[in-house]
Formats: sequence, structure tokens, C-alpha cells
Amino acid sequence: MNEKKRKLYIDPRTKLLLLVTIAMFVMGGIGGSRMLPCTIVLCFIPLFLLLIQREWKNSIIYVLLYGLGCGMQIMLIPIAEGILGMLLLTVCVVVTRILPGVMMGRYVIRTTKVSEFVAGMEKMHVTNKITIPLSVLFRFFPTIIEEYSAINDAMKMRDIRLGGKKALQMLEYRLIPMITCSVKIGEELSAAALTRGLGAPVKRTNICKIGFGVTDYCIFTICMIIYVFWITGFV
Amino acid sequence: MIVFEDVSFKYAQNTEENSLVKYSMHIKKGECVLVCGPSGCGKSTVIRMVNGLIPHYYEGKMTGNVKINGKTVADEELYDMAKLVGTVFQNPRTQFFNVDTTSELVFGCENMGLKKEEILSRLDSVADKAAVHKLMDRNIFKLSGGEKQKIACASVMTSGPDIIVLDEPSSNLDYSAIVDLERMIEMWKNEGKTILIAEHRLAYCMKYADKVIIMNHGKKLKELGKEEFCRFSDDELHEMGLRSLKNTDSRRMSIYSDTRNKMVMNNLRFGYDKKNKILDFDKIEIPAGEIVALVGANGVGKTTFLRCLCGMEKRCKAVLQYGMKHYNAKQRMKLMYLVMQDVNHQLFAEDVLDEVLISMADENEEKAMEILKMLDLEEVAQRHPVSLSGGQKQRVAVASAIAAEREILLFDEPTSGLDYGHMIQVAKLLKGLKEFGKTVIVVTHDAELIENCCTAVINLEALKNVNNK
Repeated sequence: MNEKKRKLYIDPRTKLLLLVTIAMFVMGGIGGSRMLPCTIVLCFIPLFLLLIQREWKNSIIYVLLYGLGCGMQIMLIPIAEGILGMLLLTVCVVVTRILPGVMMGRYVIRTTKVSEFVAGMEKMHVTNKITIPLSVLFRFFPTIIEEYSAINDAMKMRDIRLGGKKALQMLEYRLIPMITCSVKIGEELSAAALTRGLGAPVKRTNICKIGFGVTDYCIFTICMIIYVFWITGFV
Repeated sequence: MIVFEDVSFKYAQNTEENSLVKYSMHIKKGECVLVCGPSGCGKSTVIRMVNGLIPHYYEGKMTGNVKINGKTVADEELYDMAKLVGTVFQNPRTQFFNVDTTSELVFGCENMGLKKEEILSRLDSVADKAAVHKLMDRNIFKLSGGEKQKIACASVMTSGPDIIVLDEPSSNLDYSAIVDLERMIEMWKNEGKTILIAEHRLAYCMKYADKVIIMNHGKKLKELGKEEFCRFSDDELHEMGLRSLKNTDSRRMSIYSDTRNKMVMNNLRFGYDKKNKILDFDKIEIPAGEIVALVGANGVGKTTFLRCLCGMEKRCKAVLQYGMKHYNAKQRMKLMYLVMQDVNHQLFAEDVLDEVLISMADENEEKAMEILKMLDLEEVAQRHPVSLSGGQKQRVAVASAIAAEREILLFDEPTSGLDYGHMIQVAKLLKGLKEFGKTVIVVTHDAELIENCCTAVINLEALKNVNNK
């Protein structure tokens, strides 16, 4: 969850639907070129959400990267030749396909509370065996980011960086402390959660309110139109 | 209420030594008991036996019997123990399951499956009692150590257990946060809770403790009433590996160094966002060649100051005047070395020797071994840094700084959570560095460390106030 107040409330289930839809059509490219108008609509959704969160810098980066990717594709397809051309083209395709999904995922992680997510999963009658590990993941992401930046700082101080000495071993050096710290954190986190009664065989209460609002219905409609359009393609 | 009968325990991964040997204790309802002793004496093991993590989570060989309210802990499930015993842990970074504070406060109640109305009313009353209204609905990752520990205490309260155990809760706290913790304990005591605290820092516990248990090597050395315990002199305490009973506020300490040799940070202005500047100084003078303690309350910007000083914050445009030269951020990075609070972040290599070698401009094994010898690390040269003790890890980090020929060494809270013996070791290390011609700058709350080795004190808070006028 972001420290700034959330500007717009979206139900965790809606976010999940959006994530799945973007993953299917933008990343997976299901439905082929016929779905192009739909994928464009879907690519605009993360931008829209970023703007609502007032993340100006990230919005601009997103637009630039995505635009660059698309533009390069259009320009390159007719002239791409040889290995270099193909390589460049591949990079462009990967950027345009993966970027919207990554942005959406980042939005979901940043704006969803762990307990909201759990509540959403419970409403969908997903078993605890899936919900609890996934919710731990939510908690783990910011931790990993914290660890990563601390290790990064330590690397800079030791003059181990790209172009510095031992650049090749950089990955290994980064991974070792990361793993040591993560294991320790994971162990302590589980111990703490267990002393607070996680895993009791009673029905868990959840005090956070989740529910659908106007925004959710709008997103539903957009997604439904896309799915219907996709299915009618088979007929 | 809490009964230990001849309990022994050996952790599964520790084959050599028993962590607890024939340990017995009786704690009555409503009592507040302090368990103390040097690191590794078994006090954390005692805490883990009360909340059930031993034998349910940490595996090992256990004999004897632990009973809480007449129930044998080994026969109960952990989630049933959770209703009886609440735990506050040492590390505020790893005791929260949620990312936002409010969810964390009600987490225990939710797990018990209490009714929503009941939970909300408990939340209200706890927020009043623990004074955490300001902290509600915040991102836990953005809180200070003291605030996190407040949330940890309040979270325990919402579950409403009769017994509260605390495992070195003050390790990462400054003086004022400890005062807050003391107030929590007072409140619990007045509510009739049974409280068990394992601690190195004794002073803040003494007001409300009914008795003190001193441990060593898994055994109970002494069990004393509070009055009896308070009669110990500092020397007697130190002999048992314990910290002083004096509660000195490190912020009130002052040592002036009369050295002419100074380095000056000019134009030090820095903030993590544009609106509020944490640091805003025209210049700060730091005596060179000394062991300088940097004190001030949590959140005043001590760690940020260290980060700017060693050039880690590139956006900080301050210039350091040292000797005849001027250093910008990038140049300072080659002049200084920061030993982080969590040393694990800065040890990468496969063995200790390698760790030193990669820091050298030209790898020279002979010289590396010399450095290791100087720091008493010769014997562990071939071991993986991860397998070392906390103190050894700290020294390995120092070794790599010496190998990289850095002239100024910075330490961020090197003694947090350390017992007397280990604190003295750190003090010796710092003194050794000074003799070696290095300048040492250490951020600390630890008054005893300052008394033992520092030759100058800079109070960042006081400097800030002068600056504001």
C-alpha cells in the first residue's frame, strides 16, 4: 500500500480480473491481430491508473517506452534484416507486450493491502492453502526491495559495479547476501505470524470492507466486451 | 501461571551445547520478571518455550516440562497458545505480517475468528490506550524503529492475552522510544498481565520488575528480588556479562576533542523528497583522527548523515574539506567505508580471505592475511562469512575497509542488541582503528560504548537547533 492516500478504490477481485485479462491478451497475445483494438484499450488502463495515482514520472516513462516500442516495430518490420534487425525487433515486441502487465502488477502490489487481498480471495472461495502463501508474497516484495537496495549500497561502497572491477561476479555477490537475508527474514516472519495464531482451524474474520463500485462495473464491462469480442472470433 | 520444571533443550542444528540446562522457574500471575545474561545464555530459548515456538516451530531435543496456566505447552497447538501468550520480538523488521498498520493491529483477532464488531471495538480501545492513533493506516515500511515497536506492542494488546513476553524489545530503540516502551509495560502491569522480558538493557525494566533471573550457559545463576538486584555495582554486573543499571541518555553526553585537525562538511543539505529537508547545515566540523560519536534522537537524520558523508546519496551536493583537499560525493566514496547495522548486506565473497582480497586495489594475499591477523580473524580465513558470529562479521567488514585503504570508517549502531562483553569488544576494535590512524565516526544510542571508547561527541539534534535559531 502506498503511503499517499489511494485516489481511487478498486476491489481486489477487479484488479485480479484486469491483471489476468492484460496477461492473456497483451502478454499472451491470444486472439492474434484481430484483437489489436482490444489490446490497445488494455494498454491504456495501466496508464490511466498511474495517472490517477499521480505518478507523473512513471506515467511519462511508460508512455515513452511503450510509444518507442510501437514506433520501432512499425518502422522496423519492413526493413529489419539479419540478426541485428531481428534482435532489435524482438526487444521491441517484448517491451510492448510485457510492459503493460508489469505496470499493472506493480499497481496491484502497491495499492492492495494484504488483508484486502485475503478478503477478496475468501469471497471467491479460494482455499487458504493458496491464499496464505500468496499473501506472504505481498509482504515479501517490499522486504526484498529493501534488502536489494541495501545490498546495492554496499556494492557501491566496495566499488563493485558495472564497469568497476569484478563486474562479472556482480550477480553472485548480489545473490549471496540476498539469499542469506531472505531466509532469515522468512524464518522470523513465520515465527511471528504463528505466535499470532495464523493457521487456526476457525473461520478467519476480516475487518476490511471490500465491494464493487462504479469503477469496478466500468472495468467489468470493458473486460466483458473484450472477452465477448474474442469468443465471437471463433464463430 | 508459568512453570518450568527441570527443562533442558538442545537446538537441532546445534550439536555441541545445550541451550537450556535443567532450568526451573515459577512465575505467578501478575508478576513482571526480567531474564538477563550474556548473549547465548538461553534467555531467548526461555521466551520461545513460553510462547510455544519451542517445541512447535524450532526443533530440537527437549526434556522436562513447561506449563502455562496448568496446560503443558508441548501438548497445545501454536494457535491455542496465541490466545494465552502475546510476543514482542527483537527485530521490528520481521515481526509484521501485514504491510499496513491497522491490519496488523487486528491480525491476531482476525485469526481467532472474533466477530467484526468486537474487533473494531478492541481496536478503538487499544488505539486510545497505546496512543497509536497517529500511526493507524500507515505503511509499516515507512515507520521508524520506535514506531514499529509501538505497533508491535499494540498488536499484542488487541489479542488480549494474559501473558506478554518480550524478546530484547529495546535493541533497536533510542532513549525516548525506550521511555514509550516503559510506559507500555507499566500499563500492562496495572492491568494485571504477567510479563516476562528478556533484555540486555536493564535500566528501563527495573521500575516494574518484581524479580530478576540471571542466566549463563543455559543455567540459572541467580534469582533475585528487585531490591537485591539493584544493590549490584556496575562492576559486579559487568562481571556477569550484564550492562549497567544506569539509564544514561546518550544525547546528554558531551566530550570535547581539542584536536586542531578537523574535516568540514560544507553545504550539507539533503532530503528524501523535495519538501522537507532532513539535513540543512552550512557546515559541520568533525574532528579527524578521533572516535567520534554521533548522537541524537531517532529520526533526526543520523543515518542519513552517514549516508551523505560517505557519498552514498549522490543527490547530496555537499563538499568535504579534509586535509588540504576537497571531496565530492563520488570521491568521498573512495575515502570512507560504512559498516552497516546489518552487516550481512555487505559480505559477498566465498570465504573471509576472498572478502578482503576483492577490496584491494592489487590483490596481495600476504597483506590480506596480515590484516586478518590484526583483527583476530586469522583462524576463520577459509570460512564462509555467513557462518561467522555477528562480531566476527563486523570485523570482516572492517578488514575489507582497511584493505581498501579507506581513511575514515563509519559505523551505524554497531552495538545494538549486544551484551556487555561484546560491546567491550567493539569498543576495543574502534580504539584499535584509532591507533592505526583511522578516523572513526559512530552513530550510536549506547551510552556505555561512548563512555568506553569515544573521544568526541557530536550531537546532531543540538546542531540542528542552533542552526534553526
